Amino acid sequence: MSKVYTWDQLFSRRQFLKGTVATAALGATAGIGLLEPEASMGLSNSPPQSPAKGVKYVTTICEQCVWRCGVIAKVENGVIKTLEGNPNHPNNLGKLCPRGNAGIEAMYSPDRIKFPLIRAGARGSGLWRKASWDEALSYTAEQMNKIKDKYGAKAMMFNSTDNLSQPFFESLLKAYGTPNYGTQRSLCFNSMTTGFLYTYGTPQPGTDYSHCKYMIFTGRNLAEGISNNETQEMIDMVARGVKVVVLDPRFSKTASKATEWLPVRPGADSAFFLAMINVIVAEKLYDKGFVEKYTQGFADLVTEVQEYTPEWAEKKCEISATTIQRIARDFAAAAPAAIAHPNWRTSNFVNSFQTERAIAVLNALVGNWAQPGGLIPDQEMSTAKLGVLSHPPFPLAQGIRLDGVPWKYPMVPLAYGVIQTMRDNILTGKPYEAKGWLISRQNPVLSIPERQKTINALMKLDFVVVIDIQASDTAYYADVILPESYYLERYDGLVPIKNKIFIRQPVIEPLYDTKSSLMIYKELAEKLGLGEFLPYKDELDLLSRQIKPFPVSLEKLKSDGHYEVENFKEDHSKDFEFQTSSGKIEISSSIMAQMNKKAVPTWNEPPRPEVDHYYLLTGKTAQHTQMFTQNNRWLLEVFPVNRAWLHTSVANKIGVKTEDDVVLESEVGKITIKAYVTEGIRPDCIFMVGGFGHVSKGLKSAYGLGASDSALHKTVTDPISGGSSLSETFVTVSKA
Amino acid sequence: MAIRMGFVIITSRCIDCDACMVACRAENDVPLGHTRNWVKSSGVLGQFPKVREVFQPGNCMHCDHPPCVSVCPTGASQKRADGIVIIENSKCIGCKYCIVACPYDARFANPETGKADKCTLCLHRLEQGLEPACVQTCLGKSRQAGDLNDPDSIVSKLIAKYPTRVLLKQVGTGPNIYYIDEPVSEIPEGK
Repeated sequence: MSKVYTWDQLFSRRQFLKGTVATAALGATAGIGLLEPEASMGLSNSPPQSPAKGVKYVTTICEQCVWRCGVIAKVENGVIKTLEGNPNHPNNLGKLCPRGNAGIEAMYSPDRIKFPLIRAGARGSGLWRKASWDEALSYTAEQMNKIKDKYGAKAMMFNSTDNLSQPFFESLLKAYGTPNYGTQRSLCFNSMTTGFLYTYGTPQPGTDYSHCKYMIFTGRNLAEGISNNETQEMIDMVARGVKVVVLDPRFSKTASKATEWLPVRPGADSAFFLAMINVIVAEKLYDKGFVEKYTQGFADLVTEVQEYTPEWAEKKCEISATTIQRIARDFAAAAPAAIAHPNWRTSNFVNSFQTERAIAVLNALVGNWAQPGGLIPDQEMSTAKLGVLSHPPFPLAQGIRLDGVPWKYPMVPLAYGVIQTMRDNILTGKPYEAKGWLISRQNPVLSIPERQKTINALMKLDFVVVIDIQASDTAYYADVILPESYYLERYDGLVPIKNKIFIRQPVIEPLYDTKSSLMIYKELAEKLGLGEFLPYKDELDLLSRQIKPFPVSLEKLKSDGHYEVENFKEDHSKDFEFQTSSGKIEISSSIMAQMNKKAVPTWNEPPRPEVDHYYLLTGKTAQHTQMFTQNNRWLLEVFPVNRAWLHTSVANKIGVKTEDDVVLESEVGKITIKAYVTEGIRPDCIFMVGGFGHVSKGLKSAYGLGASDSALHKTVTDPISGGSSLSETFVTVSKA
Repeated sequence: MAIRMGFVIITSRCIDCDACMVACRAENDVPLGHTRNWVKSSGVLGQFPKVREVFQPGNCMHCDHPPCVSVCPTGASQKRADGIVIIENSKCIGCKYCIVACPYDARFANPETGKADKCTLCLHRLEQGLEPACVQTCLGKSRQAGDLNDPDSIVSKLIAKYPTRVLLKQVGTGPNIYYIDEPVSEIPEGK
């Protein structure tokens, strides 16, 4: 029996490798002469061509969020010194956000999981023993096969959040044969993706910022939810003097850059857009030719929006009728170079699907599809196709899904799922008992509403295995932790973006006994007897087969960081072939009609908080990524803790100042958090950045910092999109 | 004409993301708890819903008349001929006079070296023909650096085209960060 360690004993050595090399550049010495004029500002944003001895540059892909920016890492004597944006990468054009710049800190963090761990005390006790990879993988496979033999493959759930090796995770789950796949999407953008899918047949059209003359954002906070190149484009757009309208109950940093901030009543943005449609229809400001040629259901829309006058909307969304009228007219006048942005994390209310449908239809009415300054059709047609691996056909997944797709949520695509319902049904045991959970780089304990329920669900299972780089809150409750190599230490699947193919590759060898998820999935598959479904020898074998269709060697791809496909032609031949039931843009949705639901965008009254209750709003900050980066000390320097935004009048009423502790309480939980008193929020709302309030003691810097919205959020699900209606939680506030 | 290195910072293009602060920390091994540069926020000004917020990045102003240099008893703090204010570590005795003297609060005592520490304009990068780390990473192209005396530099072109202001002009330090608050739709080509 090997020794049992607490977390602190396992990882107590406070080493920070970077600090041991370092400091050569501290302060400049006077010995360096006057700069040569030509060298004074070379204005080259690429690294020098002939690096100094012991210095090398490696081009790879960032993983501090899901945006996949290009990175050039500078390595000095085997230590990664700095990360810079890759100017050849379209996702970031040479720039890195604060999170991207801070990638090194987490890599050299003492809190890294350095070898496989098997639980050695009660679940969540923090007692572990060190295991070899062979033991950890064999044990995991044994438990997974036991569950499959006894309860069927469906009793095992597989969860993963957007990452480059996700296709291979999906191969593993399909080979195992479970229908239960959990992604983050229902907590994020299900209402947006389903809203656009059922209108245009594509879930996420792009937006042409560079030619746009009028932009309306309603849930796309690019200054704080940084999507690097889009954030840059937004800044340029503002600088060009483009009209930018932001609807947000909170004065976000994007709102501070906009030409107009409209503090909309939460959940009532739907009314704003329906009234814009009302004006555009009534005043015949729409693009008649486009509507006739490419859409269906316009007549039904005309009938539906008749009652949605600006005066009606003013009472709902608390934006004046004249403002709505003015914006509708100006928006139509700027069209087709005008966009009501599809937005991003928009799963806020049960009616958010209708809001997104109204947005989708508004864009269609002004005919901005595939026009300069408008919506950009799906890019997939114009993206280079990688080589694929052949494997035997997957077994048919047996049984219905725990998350209610499609038996409870018929309109939610299988690939999105409804993770909060999956969690609920672990607890109910309906329609059957779940027994095991394989979670790769996802943290449901902090992401799904009602944190305690998620912890209870983990406690109920027979077996939980987590793949991660750090002891996330979910990993802390696991039976086995399989440590993934850090993104600067590993390969992942190749990434094609239009005519370019990018590679993530190790900048340095792994510091510890960790593996890439590509190899973890593959070796686990082998132990499960499913090796033929992930038929590659190692990462390089897989990558060389992915790149095989192109006349480039893997060595060349590695040294350049990307390959540009020659004579690549963008294919726009299908831009106007809409993948909907009717083949047209569906103002009136065929699928909604089939389900006997109102087929055109319609108004559903969102709930309002009772007296002395407030809307609880959550969102992002530019310095952190969801619940993933709060342990990064460089990022804690620039955003140390989340606070509850209270309007001055609310703070005065309960007698608190900024930095005082306040207690927020909802139907399902209670937190203590510091107050931030501001005029930049509606008096009926309280806002907090998500991702803080970690419960894992394995995250030593983040543990106990701030508070988690997951402890307050109620579980409310939109039956159409499956989106978790995160803003239907109301809270009281009091001085702590 | 002599080189005069400095910054132009376009506040209208700053979104307060702090990428410049993290890039500087990585580039210059700045110890936790201290920073060589910053982004200051005005906080939310005005009354709901008529509010605004502005952001002002900054760092050592590489002044024409740097008080940190005149108070330094050992000559460690120096104004170079190219305008960059530096600290010669071997001469610094850690007396902290310069830290107190700086009206911009741009210096700190480095706990790892015991010496005064601050922005070097990434001198080691300039020598390789690279932009300072904060300028290189800035998503908004809000931060620009270069030779203020060279009419072909980006900074000079910006100063020629837009109204600028400096901080604490009345103190007489002659700071070399020029702030532009107006929208700048395009960053000019230049050195």
